Amino acid sequence: MSTIILVDDQPIANFITRKLLEIEGYNEDVIDFTNPEEALVYLEDKQNTLIFLDLNMPEMNGWEFLDYLKSKSQEHRIIILTSSTSTIDQNRAKEYDSVIKYVEKPLNKDKFKKLQPFLQQQ
Amino acid sequence: MESLQDRNSRVYRITYETFSKFSNNLNRCKSLEEVSKVSERFLKYLLNFHLFRISVNQAGSYLVYCQCNSKGEFELVPKENLLPYEIKILEDNIPIRTEKIPIELSKKISETILESPFLWSWTFKKMDIDFTVSLVADENKAFDTGDIEMLKLISDSFQAKFQEIYLKEELDSKNKSLLQALDIIKNQNRKINQIVENQKQTIADRTKEVVEKNEKLLRISALNAHNVREPLSRIQGIVQLYDVFDDATCREELLPKLKQSSEEMDQVLQEVIKMATTELNQLKANEL
Repeated sequence: MSTIILVDDQPIANFITRKLLEIEGYNEDVIDFTNPEEALVYLEDKQNTLIFLDLNMPEMNGWEFLDYLKSKSQEHRIIILTSSTSTIDQNRAKEYDSVIKYVEKPLNKDKFKKLQPFLQQQ
Repeated sequence: MESLQDRNSRVYRITYETFSKFSNNLNRCKSLEEVSKVSERFLKYLLNFHLFRISVNQAGSYLVYCQCNSKGEFELVPKENLLPYEIKILEDNIPIRTEKIPIELSKKISETILESPFLWSWTFKKMDIDFTVSLVADENKAFDTGDIEMLKLISDSFQAKFQEIYLKEELDSKNKSLLQALDIIKNQNRKINQIVENQKQTIADRTKEVVEKNEKLLRISALNAHNVREPLSRIQGIVQLYDVFDDATCREELLPKLKQSSEEMDQVLQEVIKMATTELNQLKANEL
């Protein structure tokens, strides 16, 4: 099973996602980052990692994170997990090939079930 | 030797040729000054007189032309300032032939010693315009009833020309007034257009200001909604975990995070309220 990366500047948000993953049995290979730049360093030599990515972050926002990966031609599978309800953000996410799902917070069990196919690709 | 009949015929022909020239020249006149020059040139060859005077009614006043000693002059006078005999003849229409020459006329011809002078005067009406014609003649420059026909032709020519000049001047005056009115209207239009342009600019500025304010408020409200939703979504996320974990885990792990998230939400809401209050105060200040 490959590692799952959580990127959200709010530790509690990462905590909730991690707990939901634990409930579904993903309790050993989850690494969370509150600093997106640290996550990019970690991903430097990785490929095809599943990433839960927040958009609204102070130092480096989710779009900048995606643009960086694109510029480095790093191929990962990204699930955007955001409190934004903007259709502008939803449409913008479609412009990135690496984005496989756009999910609005809060992440709950029902929403999580819909993510199972992506998790099972691990 | 030339017969009397031939001589009369020749005089008659010369007189009417002269009248024809007089009439042609008069027709070409554009002003009273030109009329005066034509009259000074030709009138002496058409009639025997020391003084010729014609007073033509023009809109209540009388345009008076008086020629004496080959010099003509014009004046515009009200009816009451006409010579008394003219006022009388205008009222009774009875032609005058009198030895009593008014002083106003006799003083004009004082250079010449008159021999048995007579004042002749008639009144005519043409196209509802009345006018008087007078002349002073004496033995030296004898005038008789045979000359009346020529006098009538000359008078009609003068009257027609005066009327033409008067109407032209009236038309010019009206045209001038119209042009002045047009200038005023153009100026007013220009001012109105300027006011309209200023109003348009003011409306455009105000509209731009309102649109910018609305956009700013929308951005703020969208940002606020997003900021509020962040901690709220975390609270909702933690709450749903309560169904999964046991009491001890909930109390030890979830409760502190719930508390932290609710405090963050309170802080965000306070910031929203503060921002909204600041914006409202700024809007009120701008309106004042």
